[in-house]
Amino acid sequence: MYSGERRSIIYVLGLYLSSTLLLIVTLFTGYYFYEQDQVLHDEKEILKRYATQVEERLSLLHEENDEKLEYPRFENFKSAIYDIDKNLIFSTLDEEVKKLDNNFFIKDSKSYLISPLSPYYMGAAYIVVQKETKDINILSNLIYIAIIVMFITIITSFFLVNLVLKPIRENIKLLDNFIKDTTHELNTPITAILTNIETIDSSNCNEKTLRKLERIKIASMSISNLYEDLVYLLLNHKTSLQNVDLNLSQIVLQRVEYFANMANMKKIEFVLDIKESVHFTADKQKMERLIDNILSNAIKYTNKATKIKIALDETHLTIEDGGKGMSKEELDKIFTRYLRFDKSQGGFGIGYSIVKSITEEYGMEIDIDSKPNKGTKVTLTW
Amino acid sequence: MVKKIALFILISAFLNASEFDKNCLNCHGGDFKFHVIMKKYTLKYSSEEKIKEAIFGYLKEPIAEKSILPSEYIKKFGVKNKSTLDDETLRKMIDVYYKRFNLQSKLY
Repeated sequence: MYSGERRSIIYVLGLYLSSTLLLIVTLFTGYYFYEQDQVLHDEKEILKRYATQVEERLSLLHEENDEKLEYPRFENFKSAIYDIDKNLIFSTLDEEVKKLDNNFFIKDSKSYLISPLSPYYMGAAYIVVQKETKDINILSNLIYIAIIVMFITIITSFFLVNLVLKPIRENIKLLDNFIKDTTHELNTPITAILTNIETIDSSNCNEKTLRKLERIKIASMSISNLYEDLVYLLLNHKTSLQNVDLNLSQIVLQRVEYFANMANMKKIEFVLDIKESVHFTADKQKMERLIDNILSNAIKYTNKATKIKIALDETHLTIEDGGKGMSKEELDKIFTRYLRFDKSQGGFGIGYSIVKSITEEYGMEIDIDSKPNKGTKVTLTW
Repeated sequence: MVKKIALFILISAFLNASEFDKNCLNCHGGDFKFHVIMKKYTLKYSSEEKIKEAIFGYLKEPIAEKSILPSEYIKKFGVKNKSTLDDETLRKMIDVYYKRFNLQSKLY
């Protein structure tokens, strides 16, 4: 998986899933309300039929001449009749209905229908019928269906994401191969330049030539650094790992020495406070990449004729420059790969990305304190 | 005290009933279908208040428009004579009539 692929997958999946979810929610909500409406409509229809049954029985009862008349009773439902002034005539309901304005309503799991009657058989102007409400249990079914649909959508979306990312992946692979080949081709000439500069007999050169040679050496070192970074990234951090007990004090001094020429060009003075024999178990190459990247950044972005303070003790390494510093927004994005705040300076914007991966690998904490136009202080704690 | 009240109600009911016999049954006779008339009033007016009001209105001014009976019947037999009873007595008699013949009290 190339860098950013995971993020692309998350974005595409997020977009696809959220739009699908929205569609499902809209459809299911619509369906739920439709079904609920349908159930209520059915309930109302049943109650209407019951009211008609009561009306028929009342009309028959009205014609009877017996001294006592039995109010019609049914198994499926209960009923009550009210006169035109809304006084109760007779009721088999569980509780009395207070208001007769509402045509249909549900209360305490019971549905009620109030049906007007004319003519007024047995004096009844309103028939109230009551039945147990049918359970509207479509919600749980809908949730099950929604979960299944979402599950299918997630599986489908993975296939779709792979399909969408395939051409991008191929292009990135092509680009990766190109950079790998280019990097490989850089190695031999850089080594040749650096070796040859080291072996030049400076006593035969005049001052002007010496200065030129110095510049060539610094430029070659910059390319060499870049080469090392690229190799580190291209091998996906899987460089040979040999964790040994390192004398960190020595390594820091060596790296300071390595960058001395580069610093001299900008008249930068290193102020060292390095405690002797500080040991740390790590891979030497990785430690060098870590220190080199912080140091080269400090040199690159610091102002001319300033100081870079380097302090090392058993638990901290601090590198502080007096450079242009960074804003809070820039600081938040400092570990983003290929991001450069100052395009006037060389590089690919991979330095701090490498720093972060190495510090994470060795469980170090990195703290960057930076203020615009004042400088940056990088502290590694372990 | 309770006994006295119960006795009073019983006596007044008895008196009202005998007055009903005197004031109503005197003319209408024993074969008059009071319950049929009550059914017709109930079918049209529904509540006790409205039924009593309608009967009172008709008895005070017995015209064809106010009669509960079918127009064919009225055409054939005409409307009854206006009641000679005073309003209070008339209302009392209607109360007795309603109490004795209303359909609601028959329900069980």
